[in-house]
Amino acid sequence: MATVTTEGTVGLGLRRVSASKSPDQSVKQADQLAILVDISSCIGCKACEAACSQWHDLKPPLNVGQQAFFGYQSGPGLAPNLFMYMRFQEEETPNGLVWAITKYQCMHCADPGCLKACPSPGAIVQYANGVVDFDHSKCIGCKFCLSGCPFDVPRYDANNKPWKCNFCIDRVSAGLEPMCVKTCPTNALHFGTKEEMLIRANKLLEGLKKRGFEKASIYDPPGVGGTGYIYLLPHGDKPEMYGLPKEASISPLVSLWKGPLKLIGSIVLWGTLLGAFLQLILFGPIKVGKKHKKEE
Amino acid sequence: MEEVKNLEEIEVERFSAFDRFVHWLTAIPFVYLFLSGLGMYSPKFAWLLPFLGGKEFSAWLHKWAGVVFAVGVFLMFLRWANDFVLDSDDIRWLSNVKHYIKGEEEKLPEVGKYNAGQKIFGWMVFLGGALFLVTGIVMWFPESFPVNIVRLSILLHSLAFILVGAGFIVHVYMGTVGVPGSLSGIITGKVSALWAMHHHPKWFRQIMRR
Repeated sequence: MATVTTEGTVGLGLRRVSASKSPDQSVKQADQLAILVDISSCIGCKACEAACSQWHDLKPPLNVGQQAFFGYQSGPGLAPNLFMYMRFQEEETPNGLVWAITKYQCMHCADPGCLKACPSPGAIVQYANGVVDFDHSKCIGCKFCLSGCPFDVPRYDANNKPWKCNFCIDRVSAGLEPMCVKTCPTNALHFGTKEEMLIRANKLLEGLKKRGFEKASIYDPPGVGGTGYIYLLPHGDKPEMYGLPKEASISPLVSLWKGPLKLIGSIVLWGTLLGAFLQLILFGPIKVGKKHKKEE
Repeated sequence: MEEVKNLEEIEVERFSAFDRFVHWLTAIPFVYLFLSGLGMYSPKFAWLLPFLGGKEFSAWLHKWAGVVFAVGVFLMFLRWANDFVLDSDDIRWLSNVKHYIKGEEEKLPEVGKYNAGQKIFGWMVFLGGALFLVTGIVMWFPESFPVNIVRLSILLHSLAFILVGAGFIVHVYMGTVGVPGSLSGIITGKVSALWAMHHHPKWFRQIMRR
């Protein structure tokens, strides 16, 4: 996890804190950060995957022996000790057979579903620069963040603590680029402010379109307020082939649970308590013998 | 008046040892589930968790307390489901429940061993318990179920918490302060004959006939 202090005046400012009021945004300010993944320049070398594991001191599972087939990938998917992986999928398109290769990890949503679902104050934070991070010391291990996430990202270890990409927040807060970006040999990964990355993405998009990828698009799902990882997809009409949901947003079931149901719950439970108290002071306990006294 | 005094001293058995055991087998885990659940349900009550053994511990014990609670509810169902069937008197009782709240029981149909409110709370516990169990298992192992089923389960678990929680507040109030003389029934098993005659006249006549 990040070495950045989230308490006190040292360290990065916070934008959102799970199950808590947001800190005052006018004190610590930071530009929104983003990584642009230019899928058209990615050769699938997995250098970013190796660099990620190296920087975070992870030893990803070795998938040997009897396993379900997962092709050219390092494994079937994310794991507590695998924060990002390269996803390979073959897909028929009008341009012929395409090998869709996607760098897959936490998307660092501007409106993070995990943070919304988390019931433990401070266990999930979003720094002022937009990076979403977990604080294991405050996590109760309830796994609600799994339901909040639209991208199926957090993975729980044997002690019921969740793990995911933290945008190399330790490097980023020291002025270095994230490890995957530093390693990428083909400049498929770009790191900077969200604003810059969108400008760059639009330029690359024009180039792609000129090369005949008319349906190319930028993946920055508005349903979650945009993401910290944005993708330039050559086949932008079919984000599913890159393993990305077409309409990414926080499930209405989660919003209903965290919104109206909370209000109804407060009204019903406090109302019941108040009702019982009012019965006591207005009419008194339902006693034996009231009737007998009247008869006397 | 003499007679009334005597009735107050005579004790009648309301709940057998098995009844009381099953009640507390369900009730003690429920209190833990209610408080730890409240701490997880509402961040405003997150401070409860450290008092219940710690944040991670209470989230862990919540699950196992739920297993014991489920066993308790199942035994309760076997024991009381027949007794809790609502009849036409119960419907009349419910539609005039305002008299009960005002303490004017004489204006209501005579009550047997359980009044309609108790029966309804019983069904809330049976149905709520089943819902808690099914959704709780899904929430315990979220990686083994489709994510939308997990999301729905969390929503329904919260909904059951609101309804059964409200019923629980009423139940505790009625069993202690609201209806004096009730509590001993579920602790020693005995209530005064006067209490039985007044609150549950039909049941009182039945046991007197025996």
